[in-house]
Amino acid sequence: MPTIDAEPTPYSFDLDSAALLVIDMQRDFLLPGGFGESLGNDVSQLRRTIEPLAALMSAWRAAGLPIIHTREGHEPDLSDCPPAKLARGAIGQQGAFGRILIRGEYGHDIIDELRPAGGEVVVDKPGKGAFYATELAEILDKQGIKSLIVTGVTTEVCVHTTVREANDRGYECLVLADCVGSYFPEFQRVGLQMIAAQGGIFGWVAESPALIAAI
Amino acid sequence: MTARIGPVKANPYLWPYDGSVPADRTALVCIDWQTDFCGPGGYVDAMGYDIALTRAGLPATARLLAHCRELGMLVIHTREGHDPDLSDLPANKRWRSAQIGAEIGGPGPCGRILVRGEPGWEIVPEVAPAPGEVIVDKPGKGAFYATNLDLVLRTRGITHLILTGITTDVCVHTTMREANDRGYECLILSDCTGATDPDNHAAALHMVTMQGGVFGCVSTSDDVIAATEV
Repeated sequence: MPTIDAEPTPYSFDLDSAALLVIDMQRDFLLPGGFGESLGNDVSQLRRTIEPLAALMSAWRAAGLPIIHTREGHEPDLSDCPPAKLARGAIGQQGAFGRILIRGEYGHDIIDELRPAGGEVVVDKPGKGAFYATELAEILDKQGIKSLIVTGVTTEVCVHTTVREANDRGYECLVLADCVGSYFPEFQRVGLQMIAAQGGIFGWVAESPALIAAI
Repeated sequence: MTARIGPVKANPYLWPYDGSVPADRTALVCIDWQTDFCGPGGYVDAMGYDIALTRAGLPATARLLAHCRELGMLVIHTREGHDPDLSDLPANKRWRSAQIGAEIGGPGPCGRILVRGEPGWEIVPEVAPAPGEVIVDKPGKGAFYATNLDLVLRTRGITHLILTGITTDVCVHTTMREANDRGYECLILSDCTGATDPDNHAAALHMVTMQGGVFGCVSTSDDVIAATEV
């Protein structure tokens, strides 16, 4: 059973029951000129995760372990977008890479560098959390997954919401600091701090090289 | 009932997004005001934390509760806790609580820690539930997972939530995120929440306001009361 250095305590997991979760590495959030940048955000804060995440994904695949990707987005007719969310955002409007956060559009899909391999699961989610209104819990249950290695964007929004959901469901979550990103350095810092606080109230935090070395 | 709430002065927009909301479509949610978290002699107190931080929101919440009761609004209280046989306690949650010296199910200063029916698990008297108010017992940080909260809210026709409770960054935030994904329009009140770490309280409120209100809005109890039209 691999054990790696982590905050607040070492993290152990079983290779037979671990999955790598890659959250919302979508063009709309990460590409220069895209939706994320159009809101005034600095996409380089997210793009620094691409290289370590690509390295981790290839090591993880080489070990024959499962990867699950998620994408935030809505149906083209917006029937699954709550009115309160629609009113606050630009969802469904025309952006640089197609209609913003709409399934099937170029901007909604995962960036080329981290494209899912054949056979890897892609979970489409209408919210910030990857469990609500998706088949994720069923997929994890069928594969006997107990430990989730969590990566992706953004740290304090979709990563945090998903880790909170997973933690309440009893999954042991390891969040990789160099593979999660926020547009805001302050939220990156405090987001990771909140996960490991109070004895690891939502899970553990580590860096990807330690994980790669362990598998 | 003809009372309406809104527009409430809030950050980052005037809440709610749809201008104002009838009081009978709005619920006041009071999260985990339990003795173990904020009562004198509870386990947070016994562990040496300053409970003034988790108690800070009690007076304002009590005032807002009285206001909402007068309007006839739906009031929902939540309690975090587990069955006495701990059958609903995930193994890692138990392990981690033991690591910090407060093992769930173990003996605490006010009975078994976070076990349903124990004195420490009860809601403190300042904001105790009135007869007829809904109480949701939850095994996790979020009030939606493994509870009937969503069903209760939909059955009562609730579309908007006003959130109070502790702690801001843990149970209140997890619940607000769950509610937001489910389409509820949420307002969290800075003077009716609190955390063991003031930095995390402030950061959690700040996070809500980003990206046009990614989880909803932040306001105060006075602003809610001021924006009520009877």
